[in-house]
Amino acid sequence: MRFMMLMIPKGYESAPPKLELPVDRVEAMMKYNESLQKAGVLLALDGLHPLSSGARVSFAGGKPKVTDGPYAEAKEVLGGYWMIDVRSKEEAIEWAKRCPAAENEVIEIRQVQEMSDFPEDVQRAAAGLPEIQEKVGQRRG
Amino acid sequence: MRFMVIVKASKDSEAGVMPTEQMLNEMGAFNVELEKAGVMLAGEGLHPSSKGKRIRFDGTKRSVIDGPFAETKELVAGFWVIQTKSMDEAVEWMKRAPFREGEEIEIRRVFEVEEFGDSLAPEYREQEERLRAAGGYRK
Repeated sequence: MRFMMLMIPKGYESAPPKLELPVDRVEAMMKYNESLQKAGVLLALDGLHPLSSGARVSFAGGKPKVTDGPYAEAKEVLGGYWMIDVRSKEEAIEWAKRCPAAENEVIEIRQVQEMSDFPEDVQRAAAGLPEIQEKVGQRRG
Repeated sequence: MRFMVIVKASKDSEAGVMPTEQMLNEMGAFNVELEKAGVMLAGEGLHPSSKGKRIRFDGTKRSVIDGPFAETKELVAGFWVIQTKSMDEAVEWMKRAPFREGEEIEIRRVFEVEEFGDSLAPEYREQEERLRAAGGYRK
């Protein structure tokens, strides 16, 4: 089963565009990343720039409207993610617990949708997706 | 530049309501366009937060909280990782996504190893590059 571990750092919603990363924290996180990789669990990982340099596109009335960050109303934002492949949600939780996260951080664990989760008509409509994912080189666990 | 496009949750996505066949076909056609243009690096949908968990960190203590989580608007329902020359190009692509009234996506630039500068020791920089290569997403 594939799970996304979503890293949600409290306060990141109001972080300035230019970020200073504490070296000791980066090093601790790299050790953790390496342990995920050595266990053969890790499929992908990335960190995201703050929302202040981002944008949102909303579709009210079916028309795209672009709003530049930051957003006063944002209560929490994504700081980064890991995609992992494990046997159960419990195993995903065990991995997340080992993360050297700070007190202001929360990791949310969400299962990734697989084709087999859906009824047949939906599978037919989305039949081209695995091919696209394969073409772009995305690993599927 | 790589960007993560975060698809925000809606009442329907949180309730586990399946998209219609037409919506899936429209999204399929959009994904084909992204793939053909060499823009798409990855894309997935997530199960509703009611089936998810959160882990809070407090010193050495970890507490596990069961979903669903409040603040539907802040939750993630799915994502793409795309590669374009600029934020503007990323925005132009995503304006064409076949979303319905009231839906919202967020576009955020992904950190590249080069951006960490000297704050990341060389051995960790190499390791980070190795890890991302092992991750299997095209860059």
